[in-house]
Amino acid sequence: MSPSVLSPTPSPIAFPDVALPESARGLRHEVRAFLEEERALGTVLGRPDSWLAGWDPGFSRRLAERGWVGMALPVEYGGAGRGFLDRYVVIEELLAAGAPVSAHWVSDRQAGPSILRHGTEEQRRFFLPGIAAGQCFFSIGMSEKGSGSDLASVATRAERTADGWRLTGTKMWTGGAHVNDYAIVLARTDDTDDKHAGLSQFLVDLRAPGVRIEPIRLMSGEHRFNACHFEGVDVPDGMVLGRRGDGWQQVTGELAFERSGPERYLSTFPLLVSLLRELERGSATAAQLTEVGILTARLHSVRRLSLAVAASLDAGASPDIQAALVKDLGTRLEGTLVDTVRGILPTPADPHATPGSHPELLAFALLHSPGYTLRGGTNEILRGIITRGLEQH
Amino acid sequence: MEPRTETQTNTHTIDTGAPVISADAYDTAAFHAADAIAVVTNTTAPDAVALPSEDASTAELLTAVQEAGHRAVPAPFAETALVARPLLRRAGLPVPEGPLSYAIAPDLTIRYARPAASAVGSAGCLGEDDSLLVTGALHRVPWARAVTEVVVLATAPSGPVLFTLPPGRAVLTPGGNLAGEPRDDLHLAAVEIPASQVRRITPEVLEEAGLRAALARSALIAGAAERCVDLTVAHTGARTQFGRPLSRFQAVKQEEARLIEEAALVRAAVGAAAAPLDTGGPVAHGAVAAAKTQASASAAEIARIAHQLHGAIGITRLNPLHLATTRLWSWRDEDGDETYWARRLARSLTATTLWPSLAATP
Repeated sequence: MSPSVLSPTPSPIAFPDVALPESARGLRHEVRAFLEEERALGTVLGRPDSWLAGWDPGFSRRLAERGWVGMALPVEYGGAGRGFLDRYVVIEELLAAGAPVSAHWVSDRQAGPSILRHGTEEQRRFFLPGIAAGQCFFSIGMSEKGSGSDLASVATRAERTADGWRLTGTKMWTGGAHVNDYAIVLARTDDTDDKHAGLSQFLVDLRAPGVRIEPIRLMSGEHRFNACHFEGVDVPDGMVLGRRGDGWQQVTGELAFERSGPERYLSTFPLLVSLLRELERGSATAAQLTEVGILTARLHSVRRLSLAVAASLDAGASPDIQAALVKDLGTRLEGTLVDTVRGILPTPADPHATPGSHPELLAFALLHSPGYTLRGGTNEILRGIITRGLEQH
Repeated sequence: MEPRTETQTNTHTIDTGAPVISADAYDTAAFHAADAIAVVTNTTAPDAVALPSEDASTAELLTAVQEAGHRAVPAPFAETALVARPLLRRAGLPVPEGPLSYAIAPDLTIRYARPAASAVGSAGCLGEDDSLLVTGALHRVPWARAVTEVVVLATAPSGPVLFTLPPGRAVLTPGGNLAGEPRDDLHLAAVEIPASQVRRITPEVLEEAGLRAALARSALIAGAAERCVDLTVAHTGARTQFGRPLSRFQAVKQEEARLIEEAALVRAAVGAAAAPLDTGGPVAHGAVAAAKTQASASAAEIARIAHQLHGAIGITRLNPLHLATTRLWSWRDEDGDETYWARRLARSLTATTLWPSLAATP
């Protein structure tokens, strides 16, 4: 009997094989050298969640001087014209080190690529060089009270005026709006039966008259987020981002960038580094080694999937389902890491302990931990995206 | 997609003409196809998988082994393609025809069959040639009863050696794993291995053997995990309860997504080890340790969700799910379980090397 040899079964949700380009290898060493210099200055403290909480505009500017902010933007707009994989290496090095990157984070990850893709030539020339120089910082105004993952339900309105638009409404969770320069605001410009139509994006000056920013304190007491009230804010026509009515498509088209990066599994990584430092003081037990190994294997595997999404983006694809999968896996791992570290080395978490000490880092990571699986789309919604993707397969 | 047809039909169709093969009933004569392995009649396994050519890259071999795991190929496919053949080539021995297996057995008692008349140094350290006298047991050798040769890695008085053993020269005690795959003990009582079948190897080759075995098992797990996904997605799409398909229930979607994710994680970990295995060194050790740790650690969750979403039919032999899940439970423990590999992975890590070693692949 001669065998009928079949070709391999395709996976329902495919991830490409990925190997980092040679350029990324050299880049990694440059970033590590830079981080060593910054450590000597005392600016890199190895803290968890540094892309949310590590606000240091000076650090962002020094990073920008090396060409590592907006580095995927074209050279003609002040960027470095490098691919997503090069950018990936830079940001994973920064996050693993717990470097303070939150000042430029949103400009680099979302505002820059979004303006490049949807903006007018005038907007590109106005904003992108500032973003790449670490001089222009953005917030994102998407969510509202009552519209978490259901963005189509936003109630902020933009009414037509003689030479532009007047914004009225309140955005929730605008990270850094109290210290940033601009926000990209999603607002309803037209009433339609289709909730996903009639939305538009605006580039709003956060210091314009009518913008009122009210802190929303986290349970740790930190002020990172705000309620951003737009009380009749005038926005000129030239500050509409993309096409009127296309806001929904523009926002969802960028989610793969937001959901799959190393920030979705490295937020609590510095806590694992801190644990190993603690364990080195004695000799780790076999049980402790086992737990560390299992966590490390999972980090390694999630990183590989996250890199595969970066490679897809680099190739111009829109790996939305893959990105949702990485975010669910990665952010659950961030939470698991905190609990596992606590189990491996029982330590009372203490927010008042010496900054950078293990009890203090543990307290910080714990107080932030419920947020990992909420920000950027709750994980239950992401899992719906994954199974819906299968049905279309 | 041809391989999916079985799962697109109503999964409650009962194929009574496909009995599951028991561990001692494999038709060993059917393994010997030139370009494919495991044409076995009397089994529920879907079909043969082509054996990659001998100069195939590790990535190609891994793809083929995953496919063998996906189809529950009832033959030593991974053992032949990813472990035995490459090790024989590394040692400079000819690759025999037919299916092969391996045994890593540092505890064998080995003497030289022809000790040197004027031994220098401690007694028995030298032989007139490298022919060996081997005594001891090789435990749970995969498919031993069905292979032409077992590649044995052991420690001779001179150091690590590799030799081939036709299983007929040993006393075989049959055994099996949860999936009914043969795992046989081979008992050797002063069996003479001719020098032509023995090669001295470096400790690196010995290390590589362990890595190859673990990675082969990880790739099989990745394939079986993918089978669980296929079968579960097909089942929840076809089976209706309370007037709608299971896949429309929120609780089912949540579990199904986790299953898909866990399978993707294993596949990613296996893929990440392909290139490092070719270059060797500590990066290969880390990548393979991570792959086997992840594959073994994920097996429980993958099998749990697949069974839960299949309902009662999944725990019978009427449904093909058991072909995948019994293998997952067996393979996770073979060639080192997650505890063994997690410890090996963690032992070399420090606060300062953790990130550089994670970022060492690819």
